[in-house]
Amino acid sequence: MKQIQMTQNSSFSLISTNKIIQMSDVWTSYDSKTFALEGINLSIDRGTNYAIVGQSGSGKSTLLKLMNGMMIPSKGTIKIDYVKPNMNNKKFKKMMHTIGYIPQSLGLVKNITVLENILIGALPRLNTIQSLLKRFPEHEIQEAKRIISLVGLSGKEERKAYMLSGGEKRRVAIARALMQKPTILLADEIVSELDHVTAHEIMNLIADAQKRMNLTAIMVHHDMQLALEFANRVAVIKDGHKILEIGVEGDNIVDFQTGDLNTEEIMEMYDNDPKK
Amino acid sequence: MTPKNNIVIGIIVALVVIASYNVDANPIEFVEGLPNLAIIVEEMLLVEPKYIPTALWAMFETIQMAFIGTVVGTAIALPLSMFAARNLNSKYVYAPVRALLAAIRTFPSILWAILFVIMVGLGTFAGVLAIVMYTVGFVAKLQYEAIEAIDSDPMDAVSSIGVSKWQLIRYVVIPESASHLLSQILYMFDYNVRQTSILGLVGAGGIGFYIINYIKFFEYGKAAVFMLVVLAAVLFIDWVSVKIRDKYIVKSQHGMAVSAK
Repeated sequence: MKQIQMTQNSSFSLISTNKIIQMSDVWTSYDSKTFALEGINLSIDRGTNYAIVGQSGSGKSTLLKLMNGMMIPSKGTIKIDYVKPNMNNKKFKKMMHTIGYIPQSLGLVKNITVLENILIGALPRLNTIQSLLKRFPEHEIQEAKRIISLVGLSGKEERKAYMLSGGEKRRVAIARALMQKPTILLADEIVSELDHVTAHEIMNLIADAQKRMNLTAIMVHHDMQLALEFANRVAVIKDGHKILEIGVEGDNIVDFQTGDLNTEEIMEMYDNDPKK
Repeated sequence: MTPKNNIVIGIIVALVVIASYNVDANPIEFVEGLPNLAIIVEEMLLVEPKYIPTALWAMFETIQMAFIGTVVGTAIALPLSMFAARNLNSKYVYAPVRALLAAIRTFPSILWAILFVIMVGLGTFAGVLAIVMYTVGFVAKLQYEAIEAIDSDPMDAVSSIGVSKWQLIRYVVIPESASHLLSQILYMFDYNVRQTSILGLVGAGGIGFYIINYIKFFEYGKAAVFMLVVLAAVLFIDWVSVKIRDKYIVKSQHGMAVSAK
């Protein structure tokens, strides 16, 4: 089903109503004086592999935190699967169970094993007694082991998280998110510190999971080339503003504001703010 | 050394001199009293080995008191520390719990021992209760500080899944602060053994009871046997603590030589 909607630059475009993330004129501030994000409009289709690109301090990590309800906007509205993020809203709280979030630091519990870290993703499906006694049902343990095999960590189930390499830690973080049976996967610069080969392995792993589980993957990068390689759509954030949003279909890149562009022109725009 | 530093050091030295004068801390009296120390040492050298079995048994009793006090005290302190941590609770929860813990810490273990001797009578039980109270006050404080120092990233990542607070404590807070807790328990046990050794002063049992009585009756040779046993026990416990720290704390924190199953 398609319909006409107003976009940021007041033009009209044909977009699907099956939006999993909708942001309208969103502003956020950490100190109530300066804004980390200013007037962001964004809508993301269900099942998209979406990338948010920008340099350090541009506000892209903040944008991701708004999507899992860890931050509340100072102004504007956000809807995640048509629900406003609010920790006190039972419906959203339940929704959080299926939003996989991988922060830049990965957020692994370093003193527990790989298997235990991954089983954390299943905690919302356990009752209090089961979780306090660490009594995971057999089918959850089998599911965790299946995901461990999927991310290429078989044989390392009992290793403590701090003993793993950088690439292995990222695989554990992805596995924990997949264990949530997510509908949305948010990942913040997950490959930024990795070598080229490992970065591509991790990105392929997420792309496979995204297709297999039909989830919406929203990934923050500072490498535009990597974003263009893996994402269907890329938003470029600079100084808290969305300066560009492009769709990627095979070799074709389409900018919704200025028309067709090639990769070189996109890279040039990313390096130099087109507003200047 | 800058002039400012010299002034600060001068002020500190002046304060020490004034305070010493106020409390009659006279170094000349110390020097004059040294010959008395020599007499005590000389008498202590007349060690009476036949008291070694009694001293060992008294030390064993002391260690048991410290062990019970440390374990029970830690078991009470652990949940209290969860309620006292600012990063897990609202101020309406952590502020009263912290006030309670501060009140418990106000009294040294010897004062708790006097209180419990009045309550339950002379003997080791009063000593155990005193050690429990002291351990609760200190382990809870050290532990809530350790919890507040936990890296916020795993807390945020796991919270974002929408888990309950109990699940967050079970799967993030306890594992991430466990090495601190083990370190604190070892320190507390070491400290409690030494503390329990002096609780006998107020009739709360343990090896201190023998030491204080022999000293009262000027039987320094007998007291020396018990004091040497305390020294040996403390050194042994310290050695064991170092081994445990090396194996479970230092290496795990630095990722050294901890083999995977």
